[in-house]
Amino acid sequence: MDVVQSYDIRSVDRAEVLRYLGYAGQELSPELDARVDDVVARCLDVARPRGTVRIFEVAGRGEKDGIPVVSLGGTALELRGRSISEHLDGAVAVGVLAVTAGAGIDAELRRLSFTDRVAQVVFDAAGSTLVERAADAAEADVVAAASDRGLFCGSRFSPGYGDLPLATQQVLLAALDAQRALGITLSAELLMSPTKSVTAVVGLFEGPRAAERPSCAACPCADFCVLRRSGRACGR
Amino acid sequence: MGEGNDDGSAMPDNANNDLLASALAGEAFLLLDGAMGTQLQERGLAAGEMPELLCLTHPEVVTEVHAAYVAAGADVVTTNTFGANAAKLGDAATVEEVFSAAVACARAARPRYVAADLGPTGQLLAPMGPLGFDDAYELFARQVRAAEAAGADLFVIETMSDLAEAKAALLAVRENSGLPALVTMTFEEDGRTFLGTTPEVAALTLSSLGAAAVGINCSLGPSEIAPLVARMAPMARCPLMAQPNAGLPRVEDGVTVYDIGPEEFAAAVEPMLDAGVTVLGGCCGTTPAHVAAERALLAGRAPVRRVPLDRFAVCGPQRLVALAPGEVGVIGERINPTGKRRMQEALRSGNHDHVVAEAIAQERAGAQILDVNAGLPEIDERAVMCRLVDELLAVTTLPLQIDASDPAVIEAAIRRYPGKALVNSVNGKAESLAAVVPLAARYGCALVGLTLDEDGIPATAEGRLAVARKIVAATDAAGIPRRDVAIDCLAMAASTDQTAPRAILEAIRLVKTELPGVRTVLGVSNISFGLPFRPLVNATFLAAAFGAGLDLAIVNPGVRRMMDVVDSWRVLSGEDESARFYVEHYADRSDAAPAPAPGDQGGRAEKDGPAAAPADPVERARALVLDGRSGPMADAVREVLLDHDALYAVNEVLVPALDEVGRRFEDGRFFLPQLMASAEAAKAGFEVLREAASASGAPAAEKGPVVVCTVRGDIHDIGKNIVRMLLENYGYEVVDLGRDVAPEAVADAVVARHAPIAGLSALMTSTVPAMGETIELLRERAPWCKVVVGGAVLTPEYARMVGADFYARDAMETVRIAGEVLA
Repeated sequence: MDVVQSYDIRSVDRAEVLRYLGYAGQELSPELDARVDDVVARCLDVARPRGTVRIFEVAGRGEKDGIPVVSLGGTALELRGRSISEHLDGAVAVGVLAVTAGAGIDAELRRLSFTDRVAQVVFDAAGSTLVERAADAAEADVVAAASDRGLFCGSRFSPGYGDLPLATQQVLLAALDAQRALGITLSAELLMSPTKSVTAVVGLFEGPRAAERPSCAACPCADFCVLRRSGRACGR
Repeated sequence: MGEGNDDGSAMPDNANNDLLASALAGEAFLLLDGAMGTQLQERGLAAGEMPELLCLTHPEVVTEVHAAYVAAGADVVTTNTFGANAAKLGDAATVEEVFSAAVACARAARPRYVAADLGPTGQLLAPMGPLGFDDAYELFARQVRAAEAAGADLFVIETMSDLAEAKAALLAVRENSGLPALVTMTFEEDGRTFLGTTPEVAALTLSSLGAAAVGINCSLGPSEIAPLVARMAPMARCPLMAQPNAGLPRVEDGVTVYDIGPEEFAAAVEPMLDAGVTVLGGCCGTTPAHVAAERALLAGRAPVRRVPLDRFAVCGPQRLVALAPGEVGVIGERINPTGKRRMQEALRSGNHDHVVAEAIAQERAGAQILDVNAGLPEIDERAVMCRLVDELLAVTTLPLQIDASDPAVIEAAIRRYPGKALVNSVNGKAESLAAVVPLAARYGCALVGLTLDEDGIPATAEGRLAVARKIVAATDAAGIPRRDVAIDCLAMAASTDQTAPRAILEAIRLVKTELPGVRTVLGVSNISFGLPFRPLVNATFLAAAFGAGLDLAIVNPGVRRMMDVVDSWRVLSGEDESARFYVEHYADRSDAAPAPAPGDQGGRAEKDGPAAAPADPVERARALVLDGRSGPMADAVREVLLDHDALYAVNEVLVPALDEVGRRFEDGRFFLPQLMASAEAAKAGFEVLREAASASGAPAAEKGPVVVCTVRGDIHDIGKNIVRMLLENYGYEVVDLGRDVAPEAVADAVVARHAPIAGLSALMTSTVPAMGETIELLRERAPWCKVVVGGAVLTPEYARMVGADFYARDAMETVRIAGEVLA
C-alpha cells in the first residue's frame, strides 16, 4: 500500500454540511438551496483529500508527573492523559493517522472571504464535512491493517480531545512525516495548515469492540472499507 | 573512511573550487548525495524524533552516512540540518550548536564540498498562514550565519512547497553569506507544489532571484520528475537540478519501502541529463548505491548546454505570463487611485472590496498582468501596497506590476512577492536609476523604464531613444537581462501637439531596433486627452503602436474597444494561431452590439425573481432582503428611489426588513446562511443609496467606526467576516484589520480613528491569550474603547478572564451591543 493515499470522495453528506451551519429544519429558498449545492460541488472539486497511516505497537504504560502515558514502539510519539489511556485500555497497537483536504481549500476560503462571504461560510462547513470523510477513509485503512493481524479497532481519538494535549500534534505529525507526505504544517499556536486537516489515533485490540460500533450500516468507514469488498467484516 | 577523495574521478589538486565554479556555470556536472533521513532510520532513528539532534548525540552515525556517499562518488554531502531552525529545535539545542556539529560530521567524511541543508520552517507563511515573511527570513538567516561560521561551502535549500518561503530562504543566504545556494522545490504528481506553484514559476522566480541552481527534489521518483524538470529548463537562468526519491514510498508488512533500485534509478535519471540537468543527487529512499549509479551514468558525459528562451516573463505564485517576441500583452490599469474617486475612498478607508472587484473584472476582461498603485498622499503607501498585494494574491492568479514612485514602497512589495513581479518604474534620472535598477536586479524583477530624465520628456523619438539607452546601459550593467526591461516611450496628448503621436511610434520602433532584446510598454490613454470620444482615439493609437512594435499595453481591459484591438491584432500578427480565439469569441459579434459596461462589481448573475414577485418596489425590496436575493436588489431599490427619498428607503424598507431577519434568526426560523444572504441583499441595496448619496455630494452617514479583527496567531476569519457584514448593514463603518493581527496594530487603528468600540475574534484556545494581550494594550492606549469578544471557544467566563467589556455569542448580538455602546 502506498504510504500516501488519495481518497476518492465524490460527495459529502449535505445534511451534515447544513448541521455545521446550525441548520434545524428551516425552510430554504430555492436560491439558497442551489447556492449550497454549488458551493459543495466547488468544494469537492477543489479538495485533494489525502492521508497517511502508520501502526505502532504499544510498548508500555506508565505515568509521568501523575499523568498516565501510553508509549509506542519505534516512535518518539507518546500519548499522555487520562482520557486517551482509558480509550486505549487493553490496546496492543495504535494506528496513527493524518489526513488533509489540501491547501486548495484554504486558498478558496481566502478568496471567498473577499468575494462572497456567504459562500465562504458554506464552503467552510463543506470542507469540515469533507475532511471528516477523509478521516473515515484513513480509519478504514487502519481497520484493514488491524484485520490482517486479527485485531479489532476502537474509535478515533484526536489531540485536543479530553486531556490529550494539543501539543501532541507536533510529534504525531513528525512521526508520519506529514509535512513532506501531505503538506501539513503546524503553527506556533498548534494550528494545522491546511486548516481542513485531521490527526487521530485508533486503538487496535485483541477482542472486538462491539459496544462502540453496532453495524456496518452505521459505520462511518463503510464507504471506504476494503474488508467488505472482499466479503469480510472487521467485527468491531 | 579512507584518505581524501579517491573515488577514481579525476581531480587535480587545485581543482576543488574549479569544479564548483564550473558546475555553477553549467559547464560541469555536480553530484550531490542521497537520502539522510531514511539512512538514519535504518540505523535506528525513531519516527518523530528530530534527526538533526543526532549530529550532537551520535555524530559517528551521521558521519558514517556521509562517508558512504563520499565513497559512492558524491562531490557534495548535505548536512543533517533539514529541520534545524530555532522554531523546530525549541529548547533541544541551539541552531549554532547543531550546524557546528553537523558541518563537522560532514567534514569528517572528507567530501569535496559540504552543503548546509535548509529545509522548510514547518510553518505556513502569511497571508495564508500565521508566520510572517520577515519571521521566516530570520529563522533562515540564523541558520545561514551558523552554517557559514561552521565552514560550509554552499547551501542547499530543499523540499520547498511555498514559493514565498523558498524566496525567504534564498534571500537569507544571499544577504547573510557569500556562498551559492542551490534551490529545489517539491511537486506532486499533478505538477504543482502543495501550494499550487508550477515548475515554470519556480524556475523563473528563483533563478531570477539569484539561485545558483534550481530544480526539484523529493515527493516523486525520477520518471515523474523528469517531465517537470524539463518544464523548468526554458525559464531557468542557472543550472538545473534534480534529487528524486527512489520512487513512491509503500508500506509492506509494516515497513516503509522504496521500489526503485540503483540501476533503474540511474536509467530514469538519464533523460533528465538530455533535458539539461547538471546537478544531481537523490532524496528519500535513495542510498549510496543510487548515487554510485548516478556517478557511473555521468562518466564520460558532457553537460547539455542550455540557453533560456527569449521570453518576457513575469509570474505570480501560480501563473506565468511569457511573451515571445512579436506577442503582445495586456496590463490592467484600473487599480490606481489617480482620478478615481471610488478607488481613493477604498484605499483611504481600508475597505478594499472595490479594489478586489476591479481586479476580478479586469482578469475576466482579458488582462494578463495587473498594475497596482496605492499612491495617495495621506495614506501609508507602503503598508497599503503590501496589504493590497496580499489581497490581490488571494483573488487573482495574475502576476502583478508594482507601481510606485517611492523605492521603499517598491522594495517592501517585491521583497516578499511570491513570484517575479514587474516594477513600474525607473526613469532616466540619475537618482531614479541609482535607486530602482539595483532593486529590480536584487529581487529578480522585470522593470519598466520611462523615457524621461532631468530634462523632462524629450519631444523627439531620438531624444526618447537616448534616455532609453541610458536606462538600458544601467540595467545591462546591473545584470538584468534585456528581455526583462520594458521601455515606456510615454504617450502625450495629441490635442496639444499633433506631432507627438508620430514621435512616440517612431520612438517605439527605434528602441526595438537600436536596443535589441529590450521590450516596450505604453500607457495608451493619455494620447486622447482633450479630445471627444476618447476610446476611439485610444484604440486607433493602440493599433498603430502594435504596428510599431509595442509589446505591452497598459489599458482598461473593461473597455471593449481596447480588447477588440488586442484580439484582432493577435490575428493579424499571427499570435492567435488559426485565429482560434478570435473566431470563438467574435463569431457572433456585430458592430451594432453595444459595449457592455466595464466591471460588473462582481455582482452575482441571477435571473429575475419568480413571477409572483410583488409589483410594488417597496414590497419587492423587503421580500428580496427576506429571501436573501441580492441579484435583483439594486434595481428594486432604484425603483423605490423613484417615488421616495433615501431616508425612506433606509428607515421604511431596508432596516425593517433587516430587523425582521434578525428576529427570525433569534427565534430559529433562519439559520446562519439565511441571515448572511439577507445581509448581502441588504448590502446591495445600501450600495445603491451610497452611490446616490455620493452623486448628490451628501456624505453617507455612518456610525462608528467599529474596529474588527481576528487576533494574533489565529487565521480563522469567518466569524469576524459575518460580524463585519452585519455591522455594515446596520450602518456602521467597519475598519476590518483582517486576521492574525498583532495587538499593536489593533491599538494603532483604534487610536487613529478614535474608535468607540472594537470587536476581537479568536477560534482557538491557544489564541485566547493573544486576545487578553490585545485588550490589555487597548486599556492602556485607548481607555475609551469598549471591547466585545466572540469566537467558537469563547464563553462568558473566558470573556471576563481576558478583560473584555462584552461577550457576544453570535454576530447578531455584536450588532445589538454596538447599538448599546453607541446609543
